[in-house]
Amino acid sequence: MIVIFFCLVAKASVESDLKNITSKLRCMTCQNQTIYSSDADFSKNIKKIVEEKLKNNESEKEIINYLIERYGEYIVFEPQMNIGNLFLWFFPFTILALCLVFFIFRIKKN
Amino acid sequence: MNKIILSIPIFIILIISIFLFIFLLQEKNPTKPPSALLNEELPKFSLVSLFDKTVTLSSLDVVNQITLINFFASWCAPCKVEHPLFFKIKKKYLNLFILGIDMQDTNKDAIEFLTTDGNPYDYVGVDEQGLVGVEFGVIGLPETFVVNKDGKIIYKYLGPLTDKIIEDEIEPLLQ
Amino acid sequence: MISLIGFIGLLFSCIFSVSIVISFFNQNKKVYEKIFYYSVYLSAISILVSFLALILAFINSDFSNYTVFQNSHSSKPLLYKIAGTWGNHEGSMLLWLVIMLIYNCVFSFNKTLDISLKKLTILFQSSIYICFALFVIFTSNPFLVNSILVNEGLGLNPILQDPALAIHPPLLYLGYVGFSLILCLSLSGTLLNKIDKEWILTTKNWTLFCWSMLTGGIALGSYWAYYELGWGGWWFWDPVENVSLMPWIAGLALVHSLMMAKNEPLLKRWIVFLSILCFSLSIFGTFLVRSGILTSVHSFASDSSRGIFILILFLIITGFSFILFIFKSNESNTKLNLLFINKTSALVINNIVMIIACLTILLGTIYPIIIEVVSNKRISVGAPYFNSTALPILLPGFLLMSIAPALSWQNNKLPKFKYYLITFISMSTLTVIISWFSFFSIWGFIGLLLSFIIIAGSVLTIYINSTKFGYQNFLNYNNALIAHIGVGIMILGITCSSVFKSEYSLSILKNEEIKFDKYSVELIDIKILERDNFQELKAFLQINKDKKVMSLVNPSKRYYHVSKIITTEVGIYRNWFQDFYTVLGSENNKKWDIKIYTNPLVNLIWFGVLLMVFSGFVGILKNE
Repeated sequence: MIVIFFCLVAKASVESDLKNITSKLRCMTCQNQTIYSSDADFSKNIKKIVEEKLKNNESEKEIINYLIERYGEYIVFEPQMNIGNLFLWFFPFTILALCLVFFIFRIKKN
Repeated sequence: MNKIILSIPIFIILIISIFLFIFLLQEKNPTKPPSALLNEELPKFSLVSLFDKTVTLSSLDVVNQITLINFFASWCAPCKVEHPLFFKIKKKYLNLFILGIDMQDTNKDAIEFLTTDGNPYDYVGVDEQGLVGVEFGVIGLPETFVVNKDGKIIYKYLGPLTDKIIEDEIEPLLQ
Repeated sequence: MISLIGFIGLLFSCIFSVSIVISFFNQNKKVYEKIFYYSVYLSAISILVSFLALILAFINSDFSNYTVFQNSHSSKPLLYKIAGTWGNHEGSMLLWLVIMLIYNCVFSFNKTLDISLKKLTILFQSSIYICFALFVIFTSNPFLVNSILVNEGLGLNPILQDPALAIHPPLLYLGYVGFSLILCLSLSGTLLNKIDKEWILTTKNWTLFCWSMLTGGIALGSYWAYYELGWGGWWFWDPVENVSLMPWIAGLALVHSLMMAKNEPLLKRWIVFLSILCFSLSIFGTFLVRSGILTSVHSFASDSSRGIFILILFLIITGFSFILFIFKSNESNTKLNLLFINKTSALVINNIVMIIACLTILLGTIYPIIIEVVSNKRISVGAPYFNSTALPILLPGFLLMSIAPALSWQNNKLPKFKYYLITFISMSTLTVIISWFSFFSIWGFIGLLLSFIIIAGSVLTIYINSTKFGYQNFLNYNNALIAHIGVGIMILGITCSSVFKSEYSLSILKNEEIKFDKYSVELIDIKILERDNFQELKAFLQINKDKKVMSLVNPSKRYYHVSKIITTEVGIYRNWFQDFYTVLGSENNKKWDIKIYTNPLVNLIWFGVLLMVFSGFVGILKNE
C-alpha cells in the first residue's frame, strides 16, 4: 500500500516537473510553441527523454544543460545568464536606474 | 552637448541597421538553426548494423578519417529525393566513409528501401529510439553532418541535399 | 482585366502623389493650388479603385491574378475571400497604401490648422507614400499575371478563416500606418516652428484615433490567439506581437505627453521625438515581419530583397526625420515644473517607464539576430525575459496611475489625501486576505494589489470630482479615469487568469461524468459531422455544478479537405467569473482525452481593453 502510495506521489511529481520543464523548452519544428503544448513528433521525443531523466533523478538544471549542449541555447526560451547575454539582462534596469537618478536630481534642483 | 544627446538615436539606428543588413545578406533561414555541435567532438554512439545484428559500429571506429553522416528513414519523403546524390559523392570520393543512420524506423522497411533504391552507405546503423539523433541535435529528417579527421563536426545541413549545396558547401570540406 | 485596372490605379496614385510634390514647390502660380488639392483627392480615389479591383478579383476567384491564385480558393466563404485580399503580403501592403492616402485625404479637410503647416504635412505624407508605393510596385505587386493556366487557387490556411482575424489587419493598419500622419505633422511643425495650441489639438485627436485603433487591433489578435491556438494563452511575446506592441507603447507615451503639452510648453521637442519614434517603430516592425528574418506564427512568405528595400526605406525616412529633429527643433527656455509629486513628475515618470519598457522589448526582439551575426549561435529571447524585465519596469507607472489624474500641476498636494491613504491601506489588506485564503504567489499579489489600487483610486477621484463639479460633463472630467479603470480591470483579468488558472487532464467515456474542482463534466455525445469545406469530429460536453447544468461546450477537431489540414477547435464556456476552456485530445480504448482549463476573470481583459478604446474615442469627441 505504502509503496503504491509513494509510487503515485512520485509519478505525480514527475508529471508536474515534466510540465514545468517542458514549458520552458521550445519545440524546434513548430513556430513558437513550447514542447509542453506541442504535439509534434520532435516534442513527443523530447518529452520522453525528459521523463526518463526525471525518473533517474536528474535535476532540472542537468536536464536543460543536456539539451542545450545538443540543440543550442535556442531550445530554451529564457536567455541564459552568461557573458554573451550580460548586456541583455542588465540594460533595462541600468537605464531605468540612471533615468530615475537623473530625475530625482532635477526635482531636488527645483 | 545637447546635439550629441540628440544624435544618439541615429547612431543606435545605424548600428542596428548594419547588423540587420549583414544578417539579411547571409541569407540565414529562420527555420534552420545553426548546429550547437559545430567544432565540437563527435558525440559518443554505438550503432548496431541494419543488416547484421551482431555487428556494431562505435564512434571510436570513425575517427582519423573524414566521415559523412546522414540521418534518414524509409518513411521520410525528402530522404528519398536526396538519396541518389550519395552515389555521386561515393563515386567521386572513394576514401570517404559514408555512415547512414536509420532513425525511428523499422528494420524491415529500411532494408526494403535500401534494396529498392540502392545502398550508398559504407555502414548503416539503427537508431530505433532516436536517441543517437538527440545526441547529434537532430530536429528532423534528413540531416547530414561532415566530421573531419580530428573527429570534430565541421558542418551540418538540415533538409534534403541538392547538387548545388554539395558542390558549394560540402565538397570543399572533403578535400 | 480587373488586375490591369488595379495596377493602373496603383500607378496613378503614385503619379498624383508626385504631382502633389510638384505643385507644392510651385506655389507661386495660382493654378498649382488647385492641382495640389485635386491631386490629394485623386490619389486617394486611385488607390481605392486599385484596392477594390483586388477585392473584386478575390471575390470572383480570378486566378489569372497571381496573388489571388496563391492565396484563395473558390470554395472559401465570401467573407474570407474578401478578407483574403489583405491576408497576404502583397494585398496587405496595398491596404497599407490605401490607409496612408485616406489619412492624407481626410486630413486635407482640416480647417483649423495654419495653411502652410497643412500643406507641408501633406507634402511629407505624399513623399513617404511615394517610397512605399514604389516598394509595392517593384517588389510586392499584387497585380502580377499568373503565367500558368489554372482552374483553382492554392487555398488559404483554414486557421486564418476567422472573423476576428479578418478585421485584425485593417484595425492594426489604421493604427500604426496612421502614425505616418503624426510623423508628418511633427516634421512640418518643427520646420515651420508652428507647434502651437492648434497643432497640439489636431495632433492629439489624430494620435488618439490611431492609438485606439491599434489597441483594438492588438486586442483582437490576442483574443483570436486565445480561442484559436488551443493553449489558453493570448500573449506569447512572439516577435510579431512585440513588433505591434512597441508602437502601441510609444503611442501611449505620446498620447499622455500631448495631454500634458497644454500645461508644459517645454514638451514640444519630446512630442516630436516620440512621433518620429512611433512611426519608425511601425516601419521597423514591418521590416521584421516581412523580411524573412524571423520565424513566427505570423510571418508572411518573404524575400531578402524585400527586406533590404524596407530597411533602406526605414533608414531614409527615420534618418531624415531625426536629422531634421536634431538641427531644426526649437529650444525652449522654460524649465519643467518638476515637484515631488505633481502631475508633471507623474507624467515624466510615465514617459520614462514606457520608453524604457519599449526599448527593452526592442532589445529582446532583435538580440537573437545580433548574437547570430556575431557568433553564429542562435538563442531564444522569450516570455521569461520579457516578463522579468518589461513588466517590472512598468510597475512604477501602474502605481502612479492610481493617483495621477488627481494630482495638481502647480503644487505637490493631493487633495483629500487622507481618503486616498485609507483606500490604499484597505486595498492592501484586501489583497493580503485574498492571498491568505487562496494561495500566495508574488506576481498574483502584485497584480491584485495594483489593480485594486488603480480601480479604487480612480473611483475615489471620480467621486471627489462629482462633489466638486456635479455629474454634468461627467465624461469631460473623468475620461482619463475611465481609461485607467479600464487598465486596472485588464490587469485584474491578466493576473487572475494567469496566476489562478487551473488545468485538468481527463480521460472520459461516452455518457460518463467526471468531477473536477467544484464542477463535473459529462461527455453527452461525440460524433462526426460533414460541413461545407471540412469534416468535424465534435464532442458535446456538459459542464455541471452541484447537479445543475451550467453549459454545453463543443471542442472538436476539423479536417479540411482541400488543404488537408487538421485543426483543433476549442470549446469555451464564458461567464464573467471564469472561462471553461476545453480541448479535445485523442482516443484511447474508447476513452477520450480532454483537457479543461479554468481561466478566472479572463473576460475582464477584453472588457478592460474595450474601456480603453472607448476612452480614446471620448478623448477625441470631447475636444470638439
